[in-house]
Formats: sequence, structure tokens, C-alpha cells
Amino acid sequence: MLGAEDYRRLGFKCGLEVHQRLATRTKLFCGCDAQLPNDISVAEVERRQRAVAGELGSIDQSAAFETSKGRKFVYNAFAKTTCLVELDEEPPHEPNREALDIAMQIVASLRASAPDELEVMRKEVVDGSDTSGFQRTMLVGYDGSIEVAGRQVGIPTIFLEEESAGIEYNDSGVAVYNLDRLGVPLMEIDTNPDLRTPEEAKAAAAALGLMLRLTGKVQRGIGSIRQDVNVSIREGARVEIKGFQDLDTMDTVIANEVERQLHLVEIRNELLKRKAKVHAARTDVTSVFGETKARIVAKSISGDGTVMAAKLEGFAGMLGTEVNTGRRLGSEISDYAKLAGLGGIIHSDEDLPGYGFSEKEIGALRNLLDIGARDAFILVAGGRDACIRALDAACARAMLALEGVPKETRGVDQKTLVTTFLRPLPGGERMYPETDVRPVVMDAGMLESAKGRAVDAESVSRRLKSTIGNRQLEEQMLWSQHLGRFLEIVEKTGADGGVVAATLLEKMTQLRRSGVNVGAIGDDAMLRVFSEYGKGNITKAAIEEILKREPKDGADVERIIKSEKLERLRGRELELAIKEAGAEGGREERLRRIMSKHRLNVDGDELGAALK
Amino acid sequence: MYSEELEKLFARRGIAPGDRIRVTVKGRTLEGILMPRPEFGDSGAMVLKLPNGYNIGMRIGSRAKVEKQGGKKTTFEFPKAKLGRKEGLPEVSIIATGGTIGAKVDYETGGVHWLLEPGELLYAVPELKDIANYGVINLMSIGSEDMGYKDWQEIAKAAAKELSRSRGVVITTGTDTMHYISAALSFMLQGINGPVVITGSQRSSDRGSSDAFMNLACSARIAASANVAEVGVCMHATSSDTYCSFMRGTRVRKMHTTRRDAFRPINSPPIANVTREGEITYTDEGRVRIEDGGRELRVLKGYEPKVALLKFYPNSDPEILDYYISKKYKGAIIEGTGMGHIAVSPHDSRYSWLGHIKRAVDSGMVVGITSQTINGRVNPNVYTNGRLIAGTGAIYCEDMLPEVALVKLGVLLGNHRRREAAHLLAKNMVGEISERSEVGQQL
Repeated sequence: MLGAEDYRRLGFKCGLEVHQRLATRTKLFCGCDAQLPNDISVAEVERRQRAVAGELGSIDQSAAFETSKGRKFVYNAFAKTTCLVELDEEPPHEPNREALDIAMQIVASLRASAPDELEVMRKEVVDGSDTSGFQRTMLVGYDGSIEVAGRQVGIPTIFLEEESAGIEYNDSGVAVYNLDRLGVPLMEIDTNPDLRTPEEAKAAAAALGLMLRLTGKVQRGIGSIRQDVNVSIREGARVEIKGFQDLDTMDTVIANEVERQLHLVEIRNELLKRKAKVHAARTDVTSVFGETKARIVAKSISGDGTVMAAKLEGFAGMLGTEVNTGRRLGSEISDYAKLAGLGGIIHSDEDLPGYGFSEKEIGALRNLLDIGARDAFILVAGGRDACIRALDAACARAMLALEGVPKETRGVDQKTLVTTFLRPLPGGERMYPETDVRPVVMDAGMLESAKGRAVDAESVSRRLKSTIGNRQLEEQMLWSQHLGRFLEIVEKTGADGGVVAATLLEKMTQLRRSGVNVGAIGDDAMLRVFSEYGKGNITKAAIEEILKREPKDGADVERIIKSEKLERLRGRELELAIKEAGAEGGREERLRRIMSKHRLNVDGDELGAALK
Repeated sequence: MYSEELEKLFARRGIAPGDRIRVTVKGRTLEGILMPRPEFGDSGAMVLKLPNGYNIGMRIGSRAKVEKQGGKKTTFEFPKAKLGRKEGLPEVSIIATGGTIGAKVDYETGGVHWLLEPGELLYAVPELKDIANYGVINLMSIGSEDMGYKDWQEIAKAAAKELSRSRGVVITTGTDTMHYISAALSFMLQGINGPVVITGSQRSSDRGSSDAFMNLACSARIAASANVAEVGVCMHATSSDTYCSFMRGTRVRKMHTTRRDAFRPINSPPIANVTREGEITYTDEGRVRIEDGGRELRVLKGYEPKVALLKFYPNSDPEILDYYISKKYKGAIIEGTGMGHIAVSPHDSRYSWLGHIKRAVDSGMVVGITSQTINGRVNPNVYTNGRLIAGTGAIYCEDMLPEVALVKLGVLLGNHRRREAAHLLAKNMVGEISERSEVGQQL
């Protein structure tokens, strides 16, 4: 495990992009339902997309890469959550005011500035996740900050944009998307790339998540919030990691990515020392494997397949060098070949006889490619076109090994918690104005009024700490949907925060499980229950008795207390109860006797004191 | 344009759109490229492109701290592909006239720029290279709603010229009046011996999802290898990027404001369908190409612009016809209701069109009756109403589209005497009218 000092020494750079769906009634640029109910699929369309020249004239690298895959996109349209706008058959409508309001609340909460006029942009995306070929997005805030464990982390930019379509199926020829999600308002919040350790990155993600939840205006549930992490070390390169499923493992994944970059740098240094070279020339070596017993190749060439190979001069042993546990440079190269549509590559650092290759075949191959003791080779098998594409992609990746760490977008392997290649990192030239939507002129009051609704996550955390006094409940409350209710109850009734938290988080769940319709309990009733408790009129045990009876309002609560005789016994009444119970037996026994009769009316601690 | 205040400020500092600038607003300093002011919004807000690619608008006063930064001015240049020729491929001419298909945002002026250069076209639609060799003519750059008969005549002339040396012609236009253009060319180009394919796009070609790419490729395919000798419109047949329909120029209409498959064949099947991969299936009989033919190709030169298209609707004032009579109009097409009905005996006799139509016909105007139902055939004989209208000498135009009837009447009156024009109006010339209403037609 590396420490903070190690990360500083390595030139560790890390920043977050947090994406959060907003809980608006309609989508950002049309009147479709934004709440994603289980909608009915009503139509399916098939589309193609291609990279087009961006604002500065050149085609973006990642866009061209997607186009080169020549894929078909199929879109499922739904009854209530899609219209012609999502199908790219109608221009966008005016931006959703509700979403703009929430965005301003978030901008204010992050103490950021807002532009005077929002300009809607098109950000090119050619993976098909947007039917139009771009995502509509606007910069709504800049130059903000958030407190993370006592330190201010800079928030340079805040965006309001369209959520992409959700992917349903994906292979090398086709991707199927559901359009219900497309166009739901999505906030993107970026941090400065100065998070100092993986742990700090995780804490920043948690702080941002909490702030968003505290607004009460964001969607909840799986996928409604996503964190992308940008990581690099001084000698490495920026890698964008997507697809974190939970915050718990974020620091481990980042640490593993640092490990990978370190190893790739070591490999580069060794390759440079060896003056290694990649021979981009493809050699057709099908003839070598005419009678091969290696099933993996035999299967490919039994049809009309080919085997192609390329020489990697000076790479001997390097392809088998680990970059993460169980992942080698060879695996990194294989990832590129896979994206070109093949199953992967075979390379000379692997156990070739283990695949079923004979000594003779290996010898002939080495001869044909002129492989010396310090050289390596890579091999692909399959259809001719696929072989060419895959081998070219693999050689391109091998060449990047001479530079160290390639700039990439990477995913997370949920089992091993290492990152895996998704695609090359998009460049910056893929932004152009959305000419179908007028700029949004901000009136002066919009951000000002949002400031009144700003939320401060750090102060809420402190508040929970001072009122609950139980770390587990504090943590649970922080992430709970009851947080708003909790704060209101504690504020208005003065009841003990620990009891309120335990009731909301634990008792209510138990009651629901036992068949109580907790949804029927009114907010007013809840306030009254805790107000009675706060004043000492009822005991802690009585709270559950009242809630069990599903009170709708304060009057209901009062009635239940009376009819069920739930008033707390104190002073003379308590003394009377003690007397009634008699003086026989020891203190414990008397206590039990009294409690079994007056469980709901007597406070255990008070009774204990009175029995002294 | 920016507000006068800002224009002055920029002029004082020697700053123009495209320059790299640094500005201090509300105590925070921003750097970026000054962008042209979009048409809408607050002209007092400066639009700045930040280094991350986003534009933002910032209101700045006349004394704001704005400085020009060093560095090269940003200019936009569209990449081009090399215009190579492939042996053995047919020759196709592309005539560009404007419209969305050729439009992309010009980041210098903030306006719309036409994709005209052949190299740009081939860069955007590389599959064109395998279909034909191209000659590209940039005839004009206007939106189709700005086009009139003089533009149609110019296009017809250019198409005839190109047809004499190419296998087929593709004409790119705006979509709004594309069906008027196709009708005009259908009547103006007489005796053609190859396909004249009109196409465009509903989504601009500066987006990856544009319909322009497949529309162009399918149109080029029809022009290069379809065995037809007709004018038609080739656009998406469905919302999917799977195939286009080649629809007869007089039997097609824009039926939706925004969808890709807005152009529908009306009262007749499409001539052919062509898949994204280039496979052509013929779905209707029509004129075919005659090898070594085409010598009889000629362009009808005349056009009578004084023809009107009127719509009858409840409470519509028939005096509108008197206006056209007074303006010496030579013809009028009326869109009636249902089978071509128009009010003849309303409670308030001022709303009866009967006398007015009669006056128009008697004054020498050719009056044609079509239906606003778009689909189906007019018939004056079923109700008294129709019989009375027909009795005035107004001509019922069978299953011809109102817009087609309008253009046809303009062409007829521009090249024939009145009597002959009236005689030909409801006679089929180039497939605009059919004897039978086929069963299989969908709405």
C-alpha cells in the first residue's frame, strides 16, 4: 500500500466527474416523462452514425474510432418516455425550467458562479448512445468548491446535460439502446485534478453525492449517480475510469490503476533500453499451420480463415510482464485486437505448446518472421479483414508501449477491481453549438434565489454527529431518504436525535415488515409523537405503540395516547406504581415486576433511579 | 451582432470573433476564444469559448477588462477527400442548390455554410466513391422556401445539360418545397432518358446522425444504375437508416415537418426502393431508359407565374378570387374539401363560391379543383355541390396533388394557349394522374 507521501512523489493526479440524474417531471429538452417508469416499448428504429467534422474541422479521434467499427444501432422507443425528439426526428424544445432551477441550487451549493447566458452545446458522441450523434450540454457553473474532510476541493465546472440512452445489447456489429433514459436531465460536476490520494478521491465523491442528495431533487437508485475518475502519474498519462458500481471500492480501483501505470512505465524504460521496435508489417503465416493441433487456430482456418503475425523486435519477455495481478502487457495488446472484432491475440510469451502448437510450427514461424532470442511476435487468426484490423490495432498498441501509458477510457472489472480498456480517450475537439436551441438568458434573480436553497453537506454531517451520537446511525442517516425528515423533527421537537434516528431508520422498517402501513402515518403525526416524547409526556417504548396505530395527524396521536393510556408515569404516579408492586424480592426482581406491568408508561432509567 | 456598446469595446481593443481573449468578470478571470454572437439571446452578453470547448455568455460593461491574447486566430476548415476517379464506374452529375443537406454551421460568422465542395461531400459520404464518378455543379445556395419558377427553370436547364453527358443526375435541394421542385422538373424536362433524382435532408449533415449520408448514397445509386427515365425524389422511406424510396416527382409530398421519412408517395407506389447497401427493387411501372436514346430531350422554357393555389375552408371569403381576376391571373387551383366540394348554397349567400368561380372561368382563368384531403380522387358527380361547380367550367383534377396541379398549370399556361392548357390540365402527362386508384395504397 502506498501512502500519501508516495502518491505525491509519483506525481499522482486525480480528479472526479460526478454525474447525477435530476428528479424532474419531464426531460431536459422535451415533454417526455423523466421518471423512467416501466414503460412499454412501442417502436424500434435502426440507425447508422458517422464521425463528422467538429467545430475546428478535424474529426475527433474517439469518434472516428467508433465509426471505423461500422456498427448498426437499434433504438427501442417507449410510450411515455420517448417522443420524436429522442428519435432525432424533431428538434429539441426549450430547456426545462425545473431542471435549470435545480442546477442553480447545485451551483449555489457549490458556491460557484453562473454565466449570464447559458449556451447549449453539442458534444459529439458516436458510440450510438445518443440518437443525434451528440449530447446536448451546457456549462451552468464555474469556479466553485466543496469541503472534503476539512479541505476545500475546487469545482472548476458544473454542467447540465442530457442523459444518454441505456445500452441493452452490444456486440461488434450492433448495439441496442433503450431511449427511455435519453434526455433525462443530468448534472455533471467536475473537481480539480488535485485530489491527493485514492482515499481523498473517494471522500470527495461521497461529499458530492451527499450534497446532491440533500437537495432532495435528484433521482435515486442504481445508475442515477455515476462517478468517472481521471487518474495519472507523472510519467504516465491521463486515464478516465468509468463504471464504478459503488464508492467502497473506488480507492482500490484507483490504487490498482496507479500500479498499472507504474508497471507500464517500467516496461517502457526497459523497451527503450533494448531499443525495441514494432514491425507494423503483417505477415500471412497461414501456411505454417496447415496441420496444426492448436485448436484455437485450427478452428479459425478450417473455414476461410487466415493466420497473420507481426514481429515485435526486442519485446521478448515483455509481453508476459504483469501490469496488474493476472494482467500482462500481452492482455493490454489483446484488448485492442478484441475491439477490432477478434477473440484476442496469441503471443510468444505464452505457453505455446500448451495451446497445442508443435515445436516444428513454432520454429517455422520464428523463421518466417525472423524472430531472434530477444524478439517477440503476436499472432491473430480469423477472417482476413478481421485479422488485418485486429493485427493493426494490436501493433498500434504495442507501439504505444514504447511511449508508456496510452490515454484511454477504461472500465472497472468488478471482480478483480482493476481497470480494463474501453476505447481511446476522446480529444477536445468535439464541441459545437446547438443551433436549434436559443441561448438561455439568466435573469439576475435566478442564482440569488437559488442561494437561499443552497445545501451544505459538511454542516449537515456535523449536525448529525452532534445530535445522534452513534456512528453507525449517523452514517446510515447521511445516506437515508429520511434525512430531511430527521432534521426537521430534531429541529422542531427537541427530541433526542439518537431516538429519532433509530425510529426512522430501524423501527419504521420493522413496523412495515410486521404489516403496519407506515405510509399512512402523517408528517404532522410524526412531529407530534416526537414532540410528546421530547416533553417527557410519553416513554420511548410508547413511540412504537402509537406508530403501530397509523396516526394520520396530531389529533390522532393525542387520542391514541389517551385511549391506550400511554401517558408516562412520573413523580407521585411513579411512586404509587412502585408501592403497588410491593417490596418483596431484590431490586432486580422488583424492577422486572414493575416493568412487566407498566412497560409502556415507565422510563427504565427513571425507575432504576427511583428504586435506589 | 453584439450590442453597439460591445462592438465599440471590441473595436477599441482590436478584438474580433475568433481571437483568443482574457476577460475579468465579477472578479474572476476567464480565458477563451471570442465567438460570434448567436442570433438570439442577449446581445450584451459576450460569448466565450472556454478551453474545455464549452461556450458561455457573460454580460460585460463598456469598461470591462478585456485583453487580446497572443496565438493564432481560430479558423474553420472542413476536411476534404481527394476526388479520385474509378475506372468502369458510371458518370453521375450532382447539382447543388442549397438547403439543409448542404448546410453546416460556420463558426466564423455563426451562420450556415453550404457543403458545396465535391471533396467535402466525398469526405462526408465516402461510400459515394464506389458508386460512380462525379461532376459536381454548384448551381445556387438558397433555401427551398426562397425558390421560385426562375430557379426551377435554371435547375431544369442544368439538369438537361448534365443528362446529356451523365448516366443520371442528383439534385440536392432544401426539403420544404422539394415536391414543388420535383413537379416542376417533371413537367419541364421533356423526353428524358435517365433518372433525375432530387434529394435533401431533414437533419443537417454536421451531425453524425444526419439522414443526408444515406439519402445521398441511395440517390447516387439510383442515378448511376436504376433503369428509369423519370424525375423523382429519393429520401428515407422509414425512420430507420435502412432504405430510401425513389418516388415519382409528381406523386410525392412532404407530409411531416421534421421526420426523416417526411416524403411520402401519394396515390401511387414509389417507383423503386433502394437499400443502404445499394440494392434496388422496382415497385411501380414507369418510363425506362432506352440505350442510345435521349436525343429528344428538351426543356419547356415557359412558365406562367400568375397562377394561384387557394384553399376553401368554412367561412372562407370567395372574394379572394375576384382579387386574382383583378390582378389578371391566368389560372387558379382550388383545394376543395372531400371529393372537391366548395360552398355553393350557404345560409349566408356571401359565402357561396359559385358565382365567383363562374366569373373567374368566364374571365378566361383556368380553374382546377383538387382536394385538401391530399389522398384520393376528386369527383364532381356524387353531390349537387360538385355538379354545380363543374358546371362553371372549373376542371376537376382527378387524383392529382394540389401543388402538382399548381405547377402543372404554370407550365401549361407558359407553353400553350389557354384552351389547350385547360384541356391538358386533367390529362395524364408524366404520371401525375392515374386512371386507377390502386388497392394497396396506404395513407
